[in-house]
Amino acid sequence: MIEPLKDFIRLFNANLALDESLPEKKGERYYLVNKDLKRFINKDFLYAGTYLGEVGDGRFRPSFMFLAMISETAQNKTYVDQKTEWLFICGRDIFKQGITRTTGATKRNDYTLIMNRSDECLGFGRIISDLSESAKGVVVKNVLDIGDFLRRER
Amino acid sequence: MMSGKEFFLHRYRKLGWTYDEVRLEQAIRINTMNTQQESVIERLRQRGVKLEKISYLPQGYWTRSKFSVGATAEYLLGLYSIQEAAAQIPATLFSELASRKVLDACAAPGGKTVQLADLMRNSGVIVAVDVRKQRLRALTNQLERCRVKNTVVYNLDARRVSQLDRKFDCILLDMPCSGNFAADKAWFRRRTLADVERNAKLQREILAEAATVLGQDGEIVYSTCSLEPEEDELNIDWAVKSLKLEAEEVDCYGQEALTNVFGKNLDSSVSRARRIWPGKTQGFFVCKLKRREST
Repeated sequence: MIEPLKDFIRLFNANLALDESLPEKKGERYYLVNKDLKRFINKDFLYAGTYLGEVGDGRFRPSFMFLAMISETAQNKTYVDQKTEWLFICGRDIFKQGITRTTGATKRNDYTLIMNRSDECLGFGRIISDLSESAKGVVVKNVLDIGDFLRRER
Repeated sequence: MMSGKEFFLHRYRKLGWTYDEVRLEQAIRINTMNTQQESVIERLRQRGVKLEKISYLPQGYWTRSKFSVGATAEYLLGLYSIQEAAAQIPATLFSELASRKVLDACAAPGGKTVQLADLMRNSGVIVAVDVRKQRLRALTNQLERCRVKNTVVYNLDARRVSQLDRKFDCILLDMPCSGNFAADKAWFRRRTLADVERNAKLQREILAEAATVLGQDGEIVYSTCSLEPEEDELNIDWAVKSLKLEAEEVDCYGQEALTNVFGKNLDSSVSRARRIWPGKTQGFFVCKLKRREST
């Protein structure tokens, strides 16, 4: 049941082990639900515990809670400066100049979590130009960022 | 006609309050389950946000900013919520929340649900229900943004919560109500006494249902943002007399609630509730209820 979650975790070289008994699936959405909460869940629930993400159009779309969990052990991280943090939240891609540090994968088509200077996960992106080689220009394509909370409300 | 600005202001005068200038100030509440207060204060100050501690709220701050504090990285990371100051009071009135089973019976859009989770440090269980499915999207977005982990959400009428077949230690009834003029410029034009009476009836139905799912030593916190006594003191008086509940002392901002409303004497314990007339905050009413000892 939780293969999409495991596959997603692998994208970031993270070491997050999910207890197979805890995730709940409702429609295409996944939730992590502890034993106390399970006792309060019936078939009609709309949302429960830690929302992990949903599958749509054959793709897994993670929640920001899940990204934060992954970021605790992930190797693939790109740290950005404050100006780039804001641009990324506004849905923009990341320029080489805005990156302060990288860990883990740096190659084209690898996925990386985008982190701010407080080590908080702002979302994730796909590397489109090798981080260790490119001197300038867009290097990480924005896939999902926390500005999504604002865009959802529109 | 039982409506209009003069009609309602006359009622307020009879209740002891004279209309005064109302200047609502924006407030935030720091989600300490996700961060340290000092850290958020410093980060917001660096962004140019002016913050002033609200003396009667442990995690509340008045804010002034040239830009929306709802569009910062800190907000989107769930480090704080924008929550009107008076609306921060109800969740703080429970004696103990950690590891409890809590019902938030009229939960959308979720500001108080997040606050409850914060006070519980994500322990225990919150069952959050609301009858308006559209508004539950806002609630679930808030839960995700603020990284709440202890809540289950149902699209359910608060008058049907016994269908869940569970008892609760703490029940928050932040009632659907008539609201007040401080938060709604068109309020005097839109509201009539008939609206108030219809809402008061709905609130009594919700209160009665909540009493059936209240655990033995459980607590109900009842709140409205209505200034109308039919939705406030008169409903508490009804609950005391009809539901074998009693009003508990609370230590919070606000005046003692009224025990004489338009010439009608109410149970003296109703004075333990708190009424907040508009000023820096909107109008508000809160009361903590428990089962009467003898029952």
